[in-house]
Amino acid sequence: MDWFGSGISVALVAVRAIHFAASALTTGTLIFRAVVVKPALRSEPTTAKLLRTQTLGIEWTGLAITVASGVIWLLLEAASMSGLPIGEAMTSSVVSTVSSQTQFGQVSEIRLVLAIILAACLAYHRLPLADWLALPAALGLTAAIAWTGHAGSTPGETGALHLCADALHLIGAAAWIGGLVPLIFLLAAVRRYHAIAWAALARDAAMRFSALGVASVTTLLATGIVNAWILVGSFRALAVTEYGRLLMLKLVVFAVMLVLAAVNRFWLTPRLVVASGDERRLEALRQLTRNSVIEVALGFSIFAIVGLLGTLHPAIHMVEG
Amino acid sequence: MHRSSVFGMIPLLLLLAAGSASAHAFLDHAEPRVGNKVATAPREVTLWFTQKLEPAFSGMTVTDPSGQRVDTGKTRVSGNQMSVSLRAGGNGTYHVTWHVLSVDTHTTDGNFTFQVGQ
Repeated sequence: MDWFGSGISVALVAVRAIHFAASALTTGTLIFRAVVVKPALRSEPTTAKLLRTQTLGIEWTGLAITVASGVIWLLLEAASMSGLPIGEAMTSSVVSTVSSQTQFGQVSEIRLVLAIILAACLAYHRLPLADWLALPAALGLTAAIAWTGHAGSTPGETGALHLCADALHLIGAAAWIGGLVPLIFLLAAVRRYHAIAWAALARDAAMRFSALGVASVTTLLATGIVNAWILVGSFRALAVTEYGRLLMLKLVVFAVMLVLAAVNRFWLTPRLVVASGDERRLEALRQLTRNSVIEVALGFSIFAIVGLLGTLHPAIHMVEG
Repeated sequence: MHRSSVFGMIPLLLLLAAGSASAHAFLDHAEPRVGNKVATAPREVTLWFTQKLEPAFSGMTVTDPSGQRVDTGKTRVSGNQMSVSLRAGGNGTYHVTWHVLSVDTHTTDGNFTFQVGQ
């Protein structure tokens, strides 16, 4: 086994996983703000301001990790593509060739521009234009990942379909897994302030988030089926290839997340109503927070699986006929 | 599921990666066909892959039966197809050695032969 080569591949899997998670966090938080926080807090400017500071913090953190991991990813790819040791790949013209002449490099450059636009939008978030532009910039930043992976290299018309499905899949994952993080912060704030008005806010936010969750899950299932049809192709390939088995592991984790989401929506969220009493409400809030934290942990393990899947041969190329 | 078991899975996945990840675009077919016999020396060799290729990091060399390079050195890449023109050569076994980078960032290499003559 080529230990140096595998060192690069382990680093690549790790940096991809971190990059996907950070991109999802950034974009998911902006989606959460647009579909959950803003409508829920239209009539409460003070609370809105407080939560704005919180979501801005998450957005900046996510964006910083996205950019840092994106740069490391590019350098690791430059080493991997050229076959040079990472030190040499960084000092030579390899990085500039990768950036300007490969699809991965060009997409990375476009994504860097989107990240800069997003940073400017966050810095000037008080301007209405900047506040409006942040979401499309973040959506582009995440959707463009599709062009760096398997979907970007599928030839012909199937390639266009694969790209569309993958871009939507990425947005769906960001909305759900990334959006859970600001939801957890919101629930934590509710527990801290411990007031009736905040409990109503928690319930409203949780309801809106589950509507977003249903849309995300539907998108993830539909686009996931398209991706699997292109990359796996048959149930046999799903069962006998490493790619297929790993994809099944991902589906199992996804199913556990769905169960948790259903418990949150149909069992815990209804108990957040003011009439149910302080003690029961706090208990429901505590469980809702805990389940959401577990969901995020599971979501991040899915990003680790995806980080690895992208480096494997798609199952469809590994089985005959 | 206990949370620590979820985090415990991540190093396992990374370990899995070490053993497997390497290559991606597979040679789908070639003209002249891999291992086949053709009557006269071809003017060019064309390879088709399972995925789209990056021109900057893909190429091939072709040697004639005497071991001399007969390709013009300018590999053309278009989508999932890569070809190179050949100078005239004699009868016998030709060796094609290729290396490609697919658009999804994975390198593969390989070689094959074809025969020229009766």
